[in-house]
Amino acid sequence: MGKYLQVFKISFQQEFVYRLNFIMWRVRNVLQIFIVFFLWDTVFSAQGRQLFGYDRDKILTYVFGLIFIKAFVLSSRVQDVAGDIARGEIINYLLKPVNYFKYWLTRDISSKALNLVFAVGEFSLLYLILRPPFYFQNNPFLIILFLISIILAIFTYYILLFIVNAIPFWAPEMGWGGHFLVTVIMVEFLSGALFPLDILPASLQNVLNFTPFPYLIFFPLQVYLGKITGFLLFKGIFISTIWIFILWFFMNWIWKKGFKVYQAYGR
Amino acid sequence: MLRVSASRCYTLAMSKENKEAVEKTIIVEHLVKNFEVTERKPGLAGSISSLFSPQKKIIRALKSISFSINKGELVGFIGPNGAGKTTTLKVLSGLLFPTAGFIQVMGFDPWTRRPEFLKQISLIMGQKNQLWWDLPAIETLELNRAIYEIPQNIYKESFDELVELLEVKKFLNTPVRKLSLGQRMRLELVAALLHHPKVLFLDEPTIGLDVVAQQKVRDFIFEYNRKHSATIMLTSHNMDDLIDLAKRVIVIDKGQILFDGNLKELVVQFAKEKIIKVYLSKEADIKKLDEIGKIKRFDFPQAILAVPREATAVAAAELLQNFPVADLTIEEEPIEEIIRRVFRGEVIKKKNG
Repeated sequence: MGKYLQVFKISFQQEFVYRLNFIMWRVRNVLQIFIVFFLWDTVFSAQGRQLFGYDRDKILTYVFGLIFIKAFVLSSRVQDVAGDIARGEIINYLLKPVNYFKYWLTRDISSKALNLVFAVGEFSLLYLILRPPFYFQNNPFLIILFLISIILAIFTYYILLFIVNAIPFWAPEMGWGGHFLVTVIMVEFLSGALFPLDILPASLQNVLNFTPFPYLIFFPLQVYLGKITGFLLFKGIFISTIWIFILWFFMNWIWKKGFKVYQAYGR
Repeated sequence: MLRVSASRCYTLAMSKENKEAVEKTIIVEHLVKNFEVTERKPGLAGSISSLFSPQKKIIRALKSISFSINKGELVGFIGPNGAGKTTTLKVLSGLLFPTAGFIQVMGFDPWTRRPEFLKQISLIMGQKNQLWWDLPAIETLELNRAIYEIPQNIYKESFDELVELLEVKKFLNTPVRKLSLGQRMRLELVAALLHHPKVLFLDEPTIGLDVVAQQKVRDFIFEYNRKHSATIMLTSHNMDDLIDLAKRVIVIDKGQILFDGNLKELVVQFAKEKIIKVYLSKEADIKKLDEIGKIKRFDFPQAILAVPREATAVAAAELLQNFPVADLTIEEEPIEEIIRRVFRGEVIKKKNG
């Protein structure tokens, strides 16, 4: 355990090295929130208007919820794994008595911790500037389920990225492409990071609900907003748990193959 | 009475045999390593065609090599680029899976990468670094302490020792990217040796270093080997590394071992020529001198000739007879010359078959 505590510490320091990069990235996050906020604020400007089952309060809560969920779920260090493999730096870890998966999970958590601190600050700032009507969930049961769904989302995303970042074992030059495909196309669009997924046609939603993507962002937020309850809530948690198992086995399989390729070819 | 001593003799013989088995730290038997590579034709069209019908080609990096190394030995591993040196070190440290053959390092199969094994070895590559680039080296050292689970007091001891021997105290708190290559390499050594590895693989440890830094690293390796009786395998293109450090060398080329033995033996076996130095008492005709052997240098009164080994005696006799010789010495070809030939990949044939 001490090993990973030290990994946590050194990663945290590393995060601070490129302060400007980090700050710019946070600024980008804030700007994104601004854009999405004003978009929806305009759509719901008329008094009492409801669209797709959202009123102004709930949609703006959705947008503000994004700050937190993105800080938790989508801030990941694992994107560096591909470069580690392509440059051959992974040997530093293969030579040491350390578990590579746990090593990166620790780095990931330290990155999330830092992002969370900043997210709280941004949230307070934006809240003061925009004074949005915020929907506070007061059902403790739903809050607990919300936290559970967040933890499931973190694992799903982590494992998903770990799979995609294994691509350089076979094609060292393709690491970035795979990452782009997953994070930008799939996650941003299909997870609900840009718009609430229930504005999509019902048939499309039904299909999406069987993929792991809505459970990254959309689902936890819906739980918080109290828009998913009862059977559907447990179904969602069940599906995302199943996905974690599927992805976990797939990840182990692919990394085993990757290591074998690596041990066969070297780099 | 007699029976007792007989059984004691027996146990003595047994323990001696056991000891021998244990002391072979590295055993390599008929190690084969093939790489399968996809050949890519140049250009865009080539990339596309190789995507659909990849041209696979097998590279035979190691063709059944065998050797063993005893505990505490320091062995130089030499050969031209692409001979298979780094591949061998990577197989021995568990990074590569052998295609065929038997390998054992301290009784472990390296490729299973058991933690107990990894805690006793270190591979240092002059071209790769493990120190965290943006942070002071002390942070990486702390991380390694945790990863190798080194108890505080032992860590303190080996930290102090290494920092003093390598004279790196004043660089510990500077971000690694601001250090010179020589400073960084010495810190790399600290990071790689904190856990006191019993087996050390060094791949070009002095590459890119200036002469002073090279000497510091060399002195340190020598000291580490002596003090901890660590088993060390070292590859280098730096002749001074080999001459200073290694008593035994393994020469490898095109995946095969050409020589395995004492460094001095290498000269005896591979030197094709001997060097005759003569001091002349009077000016002499260079052309005539050239008939006896290849003139390597002529700087009156000294002349240095290279002659085929088997013709040494005849050449010396001729010199004494036909030239005004004041003094004459016969020397072996310098070791540098032979190693240089090895690096150039000039096939050196064993004289005795």
